[in-house]
Amino acid sequence: MALYINSASAYHAELDFKTLIPDANMRRRMSYVVKMGVGTAMDCIRKTSVDRIDAIITATGLGCLADSEKFLKSIQDSNEQLLNPTPFIQSTFNTIGGQVALLSKSHCYNMTYAHRFSSFESALLDAIMMAEDGEAEHILVGTADEKTPTQQKIMERLGAFRKGNTPDEGSFFFMLSRTPATECLGVIEGLYLGGQNPNGEFDIAINADKGYHTASAAAMFKGVEEVRSGAKRVLVVNGDYKIALKCM
Amino acid sequence: MQICVSGIGVVSSIGIGVDANVASLASQKDGMGSITLFDSTHNLPVSEVKASNRELVQILSLPERNTYSRTALLGMLAANEALKDAEIDLGKLRVGLVSATSVGGMDLTYGFYEEFAKDNSKGRLRDVVSHDCYDSTHKIAEYCGIKGFSTTISTACSSAANAVMLGARLIKHGYLDCVVVGGTDALCKFTLNGFNSLMILDSQKCRPFDNSRAGLNLGEGAGYIVLQRTDTVSRKPYCLLGGFANANDAYHQTASSAEGNGAYLAMSQALSMSGLKPSDISYINVHGTGTPNNDASEGAALRRLFGDSVPAFSSTKSYTGHTLAAAGGIEAVFSVLSIDRGMIFPNLNFTSPIEGLGLTPETSFSEGNDISAVMSNSFGFGGNNSSLIFTKKDGSLHQ
Repeated sequence: MALYINSASAYHAELDFKTLIPDANMRRRMSYVVKMGVGTAMDCIRKTSVDRIDAIITATGLGCLADSEKFLKSIQDSNEQLLNPTPFIQSTFNTIGGQVALLSKSHCYNMTYAHRFSSFESALLDAIMMAEDGEAEHILVGTADEKTPTQQKIMERLGAFRKGNTPDEGSFFFMLSRTPATECLGVIEGLYLGGQNPNGEFDIAINADKGYHTASAAAMFKGVEEVRSGAKRVLVVNGDYKIALKCM
Repeated sequence: MQICVSGIGVVSSIGIGVDANVASLASQKDGMGSITLFDSTHNLPVSEVKASNRELVQILSLPERNTYSRTALLGMLAANEALKDAEIDLGKLRVGLVSATSVGGMDLTYGFYEEFAKDNSKGRLRDVVSHDCYDSTHKIAEYCGIKGFSTTISTACSSAANAVMLGARLIKHGYLDCVVVGGTDALCKFTLNGFNSLMILDSQKCRPFDNSRAGLNLGEGAGYIVLQRTDTVSRKPYCLLGGFANANDAYHQTASSAEGNGAYLAMSQALSMSGLKPSDISYINVHGTGTPNNDASEGAALRRLFGDSVPAFSSTKSYTGHTLAAAGGIEAVFSVLSIDRGMIFPNLNFTSPIEGLGLTPETSFSEGNDISAVMSNSFGFGGNNSSLIFTKKDGSLHQ
């Protein structure tokens, strides 16, 4: 079934974090990726007239990488003694989903996919099934990943950049609903798996097969901008996965 | 549409394979011991799978030089056992994999990072390429010959239960005919120190639902079940997946609410999907980590839902330790066994009920009971609460 994109947010440094995450202590404890993801998700919620969320589905390739490294380093540096638990707590892959539930007081379905470059498509597939089942009317779907100096160094040593992979980071969130709100931006016609193809012609195809974790969510965000500015149909291609978008 | 369980596979501290696990469960033999997998300054009981990586590699007939994390190795063993048990024809059916993990390849990354931190040009790259959660799922699928849709769920300690839920929905929506679902996590220094820094590890054997409980013991392992559309089975299925739900406590990043809001919502919504009444549940495999907070919160939720007639229940974490993302998978296997063989597992190390709750878990092993529906709870960080319900294969409860 078609899902209506009632809002879309991409992380940018000018997001008003103080308003989006009002609890100063919570904000202070957040690592970069958590703040980026939670801030973008809350911005996406704030932009819509949708008054409740029925499902929160997040995707991440590497999760909270900086906090994982911070905790790993503290174990090694202090010989396992007197460790600060905060980076451990926030190293969990579903930290962003959990914090969004806390902030939006949502007791609803809350899921996190961590499947390298197709994490976002898994989240989207889950959202489509939730909507088809009538289990959820409004579904918040998004992704967040950060790059760290360590990850960059490792990728460089692995020769990943030579293969044309573009390192990137960011966060993108979408409010997907079974019905369009007045501010609706566009429509997800369908998600195609296993190399299947949608019928008909597309005005624009965006290649998201770039070897970085936020690529397909970023491409879908760009696709939404395209259908907003005149394109009738846009196809986001990430290897065997395809997301078909159309204008309202 | 009815979705049945046609295969089971498990690796835990109490045994490699279903038979070994059943033998330990029946003889009340837990898997706790001291740490042998890595050096640590902590002297804490842990529940390790009693085989080294080298031994696991041999059992799996893999090349000696490889990039398999312990998480992947444990997962390969359990998932393959489940798939073989279900007698699946991989050429005929669309078979997928939904696997859960929370530590991924962190066991290998730990060693890599020790070297890397001293000198960025050091550290063996083959020890870091398996770091992400996807890696173990990919390697399990490859080893088992699973070619259909696969994905990885990581929602901390409820991960594997969530994998079961997604798998069922993938079948219902026609994406797959059959799906191997569950989770795997290896014990590693990262999680041991993480839980220790939270001060929720017991220095003795854990005592779930006991008034004197003082924390959890970490474990490791993997548990997978095979879900199938009933019209595609090639063997007599064990039971049906009757209902499931995930809900959020929305209370705190790591602690559970005193009223057990998330747990209550997950259990009651799963019950409502199954069409059963609370009194239809014969046995509950509780989350029961043994921490003061979890058991009080889960207990409160049990009281809210079941009132004065809480069904027989126990925490098998008193045998296996808390296996994190694998817990929901291992306990799904135990729940399926409970239905199929009428087994009720004891909650080890129990002496007196939690004050104010008055809940007494089962303390002895029995089989051949008439068990028609089993509930399995898995709760995790981020307020992530899931509940699964397995029912008798004749579907008698659903008519």
